[in-house]
Amino acid sequence: MSSAGTGTTVSRTRQSETAAGHLGPKGRRRGPRRPPGLPWILPAFVFVVGLIYYCIGYTGYISTLNWDGVSPNPKHVGFANYTQAFHDPVFWDTIRHTVIFFIVTFTVQTALGFTFAALLHSKVKLPNLYKVIIFIPVVLAPATMAPIFRQIFSANGQFNAILSDIGLGSLAHPWLAQSSTALPVIMAITVWEWTGVTFILYFAAMTQIDKEILEAARIDGANGVKVLTRIVWPNVRGTTIALAMLSVIGALKTFDVPYLVSLGGPNYATEFLGTLIYRVSIPQAEVGYGAALSILLLILSLVGALAFGLRGTRRN
Amino acid sequence: MFETRRLSSKVILQVILTIMVLPFLFPLIAMVQESLSGQGWGNYKAVWATGVVPRFFLNSTIIALGVIIIVYCLTMLAAFGFSKLHVRWKEVFFWMMLAALTMPEVVLLTPLFSTAVHLGLYNTYASVMLPLAALQIPFAVLLTRNFVNSIPDELFDAARVDGANAALIFWKIIVPLTRPIAAAIIILTLIAAWNDYLLPLVFLQTPSTQTITLLPSFFVSEFSDDQTKVVASAVITAIPEVIAYLCLQRLFERGLTAGALK
Repeated sequence: MSSAGTGTTVSRTRQSETAAGHLGPKGRRRGPRRPPGLPWILPAFVFVVGLIYYCIGYTGYISTLNWDGVSPNPKHVGFANYTQAFHDPVFWDTIRHTVIFFIVTFTVQTALGFTFAALLHSKVKLPNLYKVIIFIPVVLAPATMAPIFRQIFSANGQFNAILSDIGLGSLAHPWLAQSSTALPVIMAITVWEWTGVTFILYFAAMTQIDKEILEAARIDGANGVKVLTRIVWPNVRGTTIALAMLSVIGALKTFDVPYLVSLGGPNYATEFLGTLIYRVSIPQAEVGYGAALSILLLILSLVGALAFGLRGTRRN
Repeated sequence: MFETRRLSSKVILQVILTIMVLPFLFPLIAMVQESLSGQGWGNYKAVWATGVVPRFFLNSTIIALGVIIIVYCLTMLAAFGFSKLHVRWKEVFFWMMLAALTMPEVVLLTPLFSTAVHLGLYNTYASVMLPLAALQIPFAVLLTRNFVNSIPDELFDAARVDGANAALIFWKIIVPLTRPIAAAIIILTLIAAWNDYLLPLVFLQTPSTQTITLLPSFFVSEFSDDQTKVVASAVITAIPEVIAYLCLQRLFERGLTAGALK
C-alpha cells in the first residue's frame, strides 16, 4: 500500500528533473549558489541504503552456504541452493500461483474499482456510506481479518450457509481444505482487502477529467457505457498502469493472507514465494536455501517494477 | 459519470451499487455475529479478562509512533536536500534509495534475524521499528521531494538574500509548507506499521513486546478450541482502526492518492 501510485510519480520526477530550467548548458544554476545538501540527505540515505543493502549483501552471501542459521561452521556450496530451487517443484508452484494471483486479482480489482468509482461519480444517494464500506478493508490488518475468513470459508461456515440459502447448497464444500478452491479463496480475500485502494485512485483520477469533454460526448449522443469506455477509461490509463505495477509487487510480496488463512496449503496449493521463504528459513532452518529463494524473489520484484515503471514512463 | 435524469435509471444505479457493495460488508457483519455467538458478550469479557489486550495495544502504539517519528524526520531532511540543495550525483543517491521500494520484507528476514540476535535487539521494539522505517522512507522521500519541488525557488532565494542559512530555511519554510504531504506520509506509515505482521511474528516473542496483529494467534493458543473468542479479540483490535479511519477519512484517502496524482 505504501507504494501507491509509484509508477506515475516516478516518471513525473524524472520528467521534472530534465525539464527544469535550473541547469544551464554548463550544468550551473543561475542565481545564488545552493548550499550543500549532502548532510541533509545522508541520515536517510545511510539508514535506508545501509540497512537494506547490507541485508541484500548478507542474504546473497548466505545463499551460497549450506547453513541452519546457528552452527558456527556453515559449508560453502556455491550455487547449489539456486540449482535446488530450479529443481524444486514447489518453487515453480509458487511462481505459477503468483502469476495466476496477479492476473486474477488485478483484473477483478480494476473492474470493481473502476465500476465503483464511476457509480459513485453518478450522483447516487449516500455516496459516503458506500465509500466507507469499500475502504474499511484497506485499513484493517489482514492478520485481524484472518480468523473470520477461516471461519467463513470452513465446511460449516457462513459462505456455505449462504449458498444453501439461495438454493446452491450442492456447491457447498470445505473451500480452504481443497486444493482446487483454496487459491481462489485467497484471491477473493485479497480482492476484498485491496479494492478500496483501486477504487480511491480511480475515483480521484476521474475527478480530474475535464467535465466539458464528458458534456460534449453526451451532447453528441454517447450513452453512459460509451462515455466510460471511450473517454473515461483512456483518461485514467496512468492510474491503471500504476496499479498494475503495485499489483505485481504486491503479488510477489504476498505473505499475510496465505500464511494466516491457509498456511500455504493444502498440499502447497496456496504457497507463495513469501510463505515458502518463511517456512524454509524459519521453521525448517534451511537458511541458505531460504536466502537463495530470497535473492530470486528480489530479482523478480526489480524486474517486475522496472517493466511496468518503464512502460509508464514511455506512455507519459 | 452516468447521466441519470430519469427516476428509473437512478434506482437501477443505486440497486447495482448496493448489490456490488454487499460482499464487502458481509465479512464485517459475519465477524461481529461470530464474536457474539455462544456466550454472547461473555466472549468479550473472557478476552478482556486475560488482561493482555491493553499491553498489545500499547506495544503497537509505541512501535507505530517510533516508526512515524523516524520516517518523518529523515524524510523531511532528505526531501529538502534532494529538492532544493546542491548535491553531487544527486540522482544516483536518489535512485539507490528508490530501488529499496520494491523490497519484500521476507528478503530481509535472515540477515535481520542474525544481526538482531548478535546486537541483542531480538525481542525488542527496535528490531521491528528500524526495518519498518527503512522500508517506508524511500516512498515517503519520493512523495515529499515531488511536493517540495513545487515550492517556488524564489522563496528560497529571497530567504537566503535576507541572510537565512539552510537550517533556518528548513525550519521556517519547509516544515510549515509541507504539512499536507506530511499528513499523508504519517497516515501511510501508520497503516503500514500498525498492520505489519511478518516482522513482529519473527522478532517479537513475548506478550510484553508483541503487537496487536499477533493478538489472534495469541488467543488461538490461549483458547485453543474456541473460535468465537479469537474472533472477539479480532473485533477488539479492528474497532480502533475503524474509528481512526472514520474520524480522519479525508486524510486516509488523501494519503493513499498522494502518490498517484498531482
